[in-house]
Amino acid sequence: MSQIVDFDRLLFAFTIGSHILLVSLSIGMAIMICISEFLFARTKNKYYGALVRRLIRPFVVSFGIGTASGIVMAVELVNLFPRFMTLVSQTGVIAIFYIEIFAFFLETIFLVVYVYYGNTFKGRYSRWVLTVPIMVGTLLSAVLIVMVNAWMNTPNGFDLGTYVASGTNYSVTNVNPWAPFLTASTGDEVFHVLASVPLTGIMIIGGFFAYRYLRSTSLEEKTLFLTGLRVAVALSFVFVILAILAGVLEIDGMYQYQPLKYAAIELNPQPGTNLPMTLFGTVSGTSIVGGFQIPGFQGWLEHGANLPGLSQYPQSQWPPLIIHETFDVMLLGGALLGLFVIAYCGLWLLKRKPFDRPILAYVFLGFSALTAIIMELGWMTDELGRQPWIVYNVLTVNDAASNSANLYAPGIVIIAFYLFLFPFTLWFMGRVFRGKSIAIDLEGPTGGREDVNY
Amino acid sequence: MSTINWLFEVNFAIFSVFLVLFVTELMGGILLLIAYDATKAKVLPYIVPIWEVTGTFAAFWVVTADFAYPAMLIPVASLLSGLILVFLILLVVRNSSISFAELIVKRGWIDERRLYQLYGLATLGIGICVVIMLSAIVSGAGVTLSSLTFSLGGWVTNPGSLLYLVGVLFIGIGLAPVFYNIEPLRRWAPPLTVLGVAVEGGALYLYSSSFLSAYFLIPAVLTVAASLLYQIRLTAPIASQKFIFALLGTVIIFSQSYLVYPTAFNGAIPVDQVTTSGPMVGAFYLLSAAGVVVVGLLMALYLFAVHRATARPEALPPVPTVAHSP
Repeated sequence: MSQIVDFDRLLFAFTIGSHILLVSLSIGMAIMICISEFLFARTKNKYYGALVRRLIRPFVVSFGIGTASGIVMAVELVNLFPRFMTLVSQTGVIAIFYIEIFAFFLETIFLVVYVYYGNTFKGRYSRWVLTVPIMVGTLLSAVLIVMVNAWMNTPNGFDLGTYVASGTNYSVTNVNPWAPFLTASTGDEVFHVLASVPLTGIMIIGGFFAYRYLRSTSLEEKTLFLTGLRVAVALSFVFVILAILAGVLEIDGMYQYQPLKYAAIELNPQPGTNLPMTLFGTVSGTSIVGGFQIPGFQGWLEHGANLPGLSQYPQSQWPPLIIHETFDVMLLGGALLGLFVIAYCGLWLLKRKPFDRPILAYVFLGFSALTAIIMELGWMTDELGRQPWIVYNVLTVNDAASNSANLYAPGIVIIAFYLFLFPFTLWFMGRVFRGKSIAIDLEGPTGGREDVNY
Repeated sequence: MSTINWLFEVNFAIFSVFLVLFVTELMGGILLLIAYDATKAKVLPYIVPIWEVTGTFAAFWVVTADFAYPAMLIPVASLLSGLILVFLILLVVRNSSISFAELIVKRGWIDERRLYQLYGLATLGIGICVVIMLSAIVSGAGVTLSSLTFSLGGWVTNPGSLLYLVGVLFIGIGLAPVFYNIEPLRRWAPPLTVLGVAVEGGALYLYSSSFLSAYFLIPAVLTVAASLLYQIRLTAPIASQKFIFALLGTVIIFSQSYLVYPTAFNGAIPVDQVTTSGPMVGAFYLLSAAGVVVVGLLMALYLFAVHRATARPEALPPVPTVAHSP
């Protein structure tokens, strides 16, 4: 039984881990396309037009694969964790999924109209107007999915006590279908995702631009990548500031609404008010072994609040303490990323030409990879931090999971298939981005079918 | 007097739209497989924009089904898990092959032709999965509800199952030239659709004589009529008008709801007993009403754009005014 549950966990973790990377890229591209389309309409600068024309091609690819992997995830949830999805369907959480579909429709229809029929809409800003709902749709999809995650962390909208007390009857009573739209952690999580996911996508695109800028030999290609890099850096600056703010707010809310997860993340053996911040290390009994501490720092960050400790909970309920490490790596990586983006922008403002320094281009590329790692670690911290629960204090993963061994074979096929498909998709996106000659792309966004093979 | 189960009706209506879109894609996919060069000019301009919309409608239906039938999630997840996962793999192949086909630049050992045909093959595979699942839900063939298992062997050995699949394929191939207006294949439409309808009727009868009700005449008459109207010069443009075809297709599929209501799995599951209840019903209606408005407006925008592009085929991409480099 537990082996099957572990396989269910692995399969879903693998699928969602791949999916969120693609989604981040999609969101990053949607924002870049919208901003560049606006700049093109406003300035008539042909390089913004070329940027749009090049970005829309990988965006269509990532949309196609992302849609499929999103549906794979939705169906996997039903197959791998049927008890969880039954609870979701009996409560207002399914209403969030329902609205998610409308966000998906918004993105889909406007993307189809923009890509295949955009040239039927005349007017200077008409194509830009079509890109706004695409961007809003992609962001809204992310927001709504995170609202589901927030509900899993801080559930509401039904009588939790009765559900737990009913044991294997799983009795759902006093349902409020609208309550899950606003749980205790919804605001913090949504803000965090609205900042960090676009940042990840834009940083990856920016790293690609920085690298291509250095490698390009023609002046026009160089100008195009420099244009893209400037847009990416400016947007990264905005999102990195927002991400720092959102991270602080989320950790603030966590100690109040998910105290055990907070205690594990911060590695607090005992509760207290003036606690140190511990980087790395582990817990042995009631003390910390290894790592290093910054005295009083945690207490200072949380304004002297009484912070939770692991000793307040039975050890059987503790999440895996590896989340302390994943959180620390995420924190340090995020801090370095923030410093890098701010310093890069500072050099740009001081006209020190950071774009022309090869070393900075390679560092940018490195930070692109780091951003993706940070996002994956953040997601792991959140999910592992809720273990053994799938819905916090209500339903465990063991109780929610399927115990059907029939899922092994197709599950392994899905993993093997994704291991081939995702790297290939990223490679293909790079290919189609550079697919046409710069002269053609400088004619600007077509708003028609000129770039599509048929 | 029985009352109408609106949860079921709304969910089945969404399913009907999804299935019609999927079937039109399936017909195109089959044409790309059997006669790529002769049909691509008619098939690709329809399929390339619509496949994204079909996928969205599929997700729409899945979520409304989760919403409407929470008690069925565990049984269906256990029962059809293997088939569903095969379906998912094919779905990823479908989406990736068509999006790669649309944009592939360098033509080597793999080109857009092979990728579009891979898309056709994946869509055909999905179609077969869908038919197996639907026929199992309708007839209970291969299904053991007491142990929540599905046996493909049990499904195949049921006399109606393979006939059901063959009937659907005959109808699909027969109507494909009508929908895509493929003149060289025109004469194949009537014999294939008549054969398909006859085989389909036989399959339903073999499943259960009660399935062959008067409602079956709706798809039988309309399907054969479409293929016959396509033979006449005057009426052929009406028969192959895509919007009318899709609208009638939705009506046809919706009319077959009696196969799964009031009971599914050949009388084993009373649908009214597995639909959601309490405050969730009100939420479902409210969100569905809002959804119909939102999706309706978006589809209207889509049809408007298609209409404008069709009405003004000379519309060319605007030539941007070149200003300065950054």
